[in-house]
Amino acid sequence: MRHWLKTLFILPALAVLLTACGDEAPKELPPERTLTILAGSELKDVEPLLPKLEAETGIRLKFEYSGTLDGVERLQAGEAFDAAWFSHAKYLMLDPTTRAKVKASEKIMLSPVVLGVKESRFKALGWDKKAELTWKDIAQAAASGQFNFAMTNPTSSNTGFSALMGVAAAFAGKADALTEQDVAQLDLTGLFKGQKLTAGSSGWLAERYLAEADRLDGMINYESVLLGLNVGTSGAGNSNVAPLKDKLHLVYPRDGIVTADYPLLLLNDAKRAAYDKVVAWLKSAETQQALMRDTRRRPVNPSVASAQGLFPDALLSELPFPNRIEVVNKLLFSYLNDQRRPAHAFFVLDISGSMEGERLQGLRAALTSLAGGDTSLTGRFARFQNRERISLIPFSSGVEQDLLLAADMGKSGPENDKTLNQIRTYAGQLGVRGGTALYDAVAEAYRQAALAMKNDPQRYYTIVAMTDGESNTGMTLAEFKRFYASLPPDVRQVRVFTVLFGDSDPAEMKTLAELTGGHMFDSRKTSLSRMFKSIRGYQ
Amino acid sequence: MSAADSVRKFVGPLLTLLLLVGVGLGIWYSSDGKQEADKAAAVVTIKGLIGSEKLPFLQDPRVLAYLEKQGIKLEAMKAGSREIALRPDLKQFDYAYPAGVPAATKLQKEQNIRQTYPTFFTPMALASWKPVVAVLQANGIVEQRGKSWYIVDMMKLMRWMEEGKRWRDIPGNSQYPVGKSILVSTTDVRTSNSAAMYLSLLSYLANERNVVQDEAQLRQVLPLVTPLFLKQGYQESSSAGPFEDYVSMGMGKAPLVLVYESQFIEYLARTPKDARNPDMVLLYPEPTVYTKHILTPLNEKGRRLGELFANDATLQRLAVEYGYRVNNPNLFREVNQARGIEAPDNLLDVIDPPAYEILEKMITAIEQQMSR
Repeated sequence: MRHWLKTLFILPALAVLLTACGDEAPKELPPERTLTILAGSELKDVEPLLPKLEAETGIRLKFEYSGTLDGVERLQAGEAFDAAWFSHAKYLMLDPTTRAKVKASEKIMLSPVVLGVKESRFKALGWDKKAELTWKDIAQAAASGQFNFAMTNPTSSNTGFSALMGVAAAFAGKADALTEQDVAQLDLTGLFKGQKLTAGSSGWLAERYLAEADRLDGMINYESVLLGLNVGTSGAGNSNVAPLKDKLHLVYPRDGIVTADYPLLLLNDAKRAAYDKVVAWLKSAETQQALMRDTRRRPVNPSVASAQGLFPDALLSELPFPNRIEVVNKLLFSYLNDQRRPAHAFFVLDISGSMEGERLQGLRAALTSLAGGDTSLTGRFARFQNRERISLIPFSSGVEQDLLLAADMGKSGPENDKTLNQIRTYAGQLGVRGGTALYDAVAEAYRQAALAMKNDPQRYYTIVAMTDGESNTGMTLAEFKRFYASLPPDVRQVRVFTVLFGDSDPAEMKTLAELTGGHMFDSRKTSLSRMFKSIRGYQ
Repeated sequence: MSAADSVRKFVGPLLTLLLLVGVGLGIWYSSDGKQEADKAAAVVTIKGLIGSEKLPFLQDPRVLAYLEKQGIKLEAMKAGSREIALRPDLKQFDYAYPAGVPAATKLQKEQNIRQTYPTFFTPMALASWKPVVAVLQANGIVEQRGKSWYIVDMMKLMRWMEEGKRWRDIPGNSQYPVGKSILVSTTDVRTSNSAAMYLSLLSYLANERNVVQDEAQLRQVLPLVTPLFLKQGYQESSSAGPFEDYVSMGMGKAPLVLVYESQFIEYLARTPKDARNPDMVLLYPEPTVYTKHILTPLNEKGRRLGELFANDATLQRLAVEYGYRVNNPNLFREVNQARGIEAPDNLLDVIDPPAYEILEKMITAIEQQMSR
């Protein structure tokens, strides 16, 4: 499923191997010649340039990847890195704790977050006859059901984040940066009615778009990603995929956009000399050319003239960005609680005998975290939100009918507290029983989802399936496949996000995720709490 | 750390002294031969805190080589101009070189320094774009004066900004019809001198063309000028940021960007014509305000450096090449004419920034609004 993304990841690794396998093992460099960097995962496509960087500057970059908001929390907690590199640093700079750690900041490249619309849909909607589109035009089409799109979750991924900031500014109709009052009055529900696919990462979103282009009308993503899909490359790895047949028409809404500017931030003053060298190299005309050619991001070095025809010649009207972190957070919560399509999240949970002990503790902790137990900022974003419906389907030798729980979140804090309490209590009382009938339980989730969708088609439905062992009773995988194939098309669109845990079977869990357009999360080395938190970006 | 520092404090001067004695002896003993080696031994390191905008100039190999010929190894560390005067470790440095008169005056008072060295200066200006300027020209806000430079009536522009007018609301504006407010984009006034200079300018205009001098005036002026910072939203913390955005992101990011004239000239000088956006233009506010770069010595070594930067013909010429103005207006004209850059010889309507304490109070008040 992830073949082209994988190639993208393998290529840099190969490049590193090749340079390393010269005549000796890779030498450890003295500390003044290495920079540890906490980086956004979208910067993986810069990795192929690193051997050249090291050859020409003598400096080795060591990347550790993380989401932006996650990264902010790690820096707040005091994790030490020499530098940080994300697609933007606005959130980090608005937070007083992390802002104080930044010793220098240099933008390296640019890519606006824009909307790609299928050429055929673009014409069908008559948008080719309009001189300029606005976010309102797009929202109108989305609200009336004529247009749907994919966009990442703004609390997990930067493209969703930038898009939300842009759309909110455009909708508030204000000429200046947003305030908290503006956020309180916002109504973006029309636009987000059209959000047919959400995701925790821009890469996965693009990958799903490729696989499901026939049922999606467009996607919000970096200009660089959208341009890459059109020509059939996926970034710096230049790993080839078939170019899109129905090309994406890039829309730069008239009322404005938000541009990712990829600043490289110095955090450790003692490494300033190395940092300066790396920045000079990255901003040199030659590197900027390479970045533009290979990653399709716009250069910041003005002497590198934009390649003819590579970037559409549109006026990029940059929307003002809030100058207070409270406004940004309020907007993110508003998206989750009020603006997005409410979610209905199914959790298929293994409570078979092998879960006894630590594993059960892990599961209890993970549920408790989502039910308000994790009070960190990212924890509060990942929590069950207003209007959400949560269905818990525990299973062992079969579905545990007596333990089924369906809980509705309310529309306010006190209403929610009741539900969250209920789930926390429930989690605390979970005990273990019998065997592992995974597919029976997943089938039960689909049956419940099918029923729920009849009454409430506007919700966003997903299934999480977690097990710590191989399915050993009830339906087999082959039987489940037949069951799945017999479901109505709209029900088949409900994705299963599988969680690999304990001794569960990677091949089967992967098949189950791929069959349903979901994704497998590996929790064998990471806590269930952390994995559930990541999956929330996809719900 | 502090033990090592205090050792260094004693050892440093001691070594210098030994070196000087050694050099003296060397000269005494050999009037021929080994002069080259002696010269190298006589090089003295002079270390200082500087405003970040001067870093490229002070790191220029020509500047460093020339100073080395004078027996000086220059060390410069970036620091915010606002914070330099309050640095507890100031004593470790030989000179401070902040941007702007207010910071230099504060430093002079606090450290009891008799003489400071004005070295070069640059007026505040607005970097803009031909389509934007056409709109402003049609409305009598901007007027063309040179082949490629303009003046902007700051009072009129400020009125529009205070009214909350949007670009698309300007009559006859088909060139730049965006929904954003008319605002000048600046850096963060809490951390950057250039934004503080803008504040000086706005407060002067809001105070009926008088430099703000007391609390009463300050209270009157603040409600008028504060929104012009707050409404901008997110801002960059150093002056390199907005100018970088100006050249790389173009008109869509910001139609009017507060810059130092020197930044713009230096950019023109180092960028080949065909690699530049032909729509870039520079507007000179009327009135405007200068950012003066005053070298403030903290000891004898610093004084020596101050003398050089203020008076040495070679260093003054190099500063002009970096876009700065010096006391000799002919030098500025000559250097720029030779490289095809047109700029006004002198600006007539230039105001003084308020005293450091008043400026600080205004910045603090805006800071409080920002975090409210």
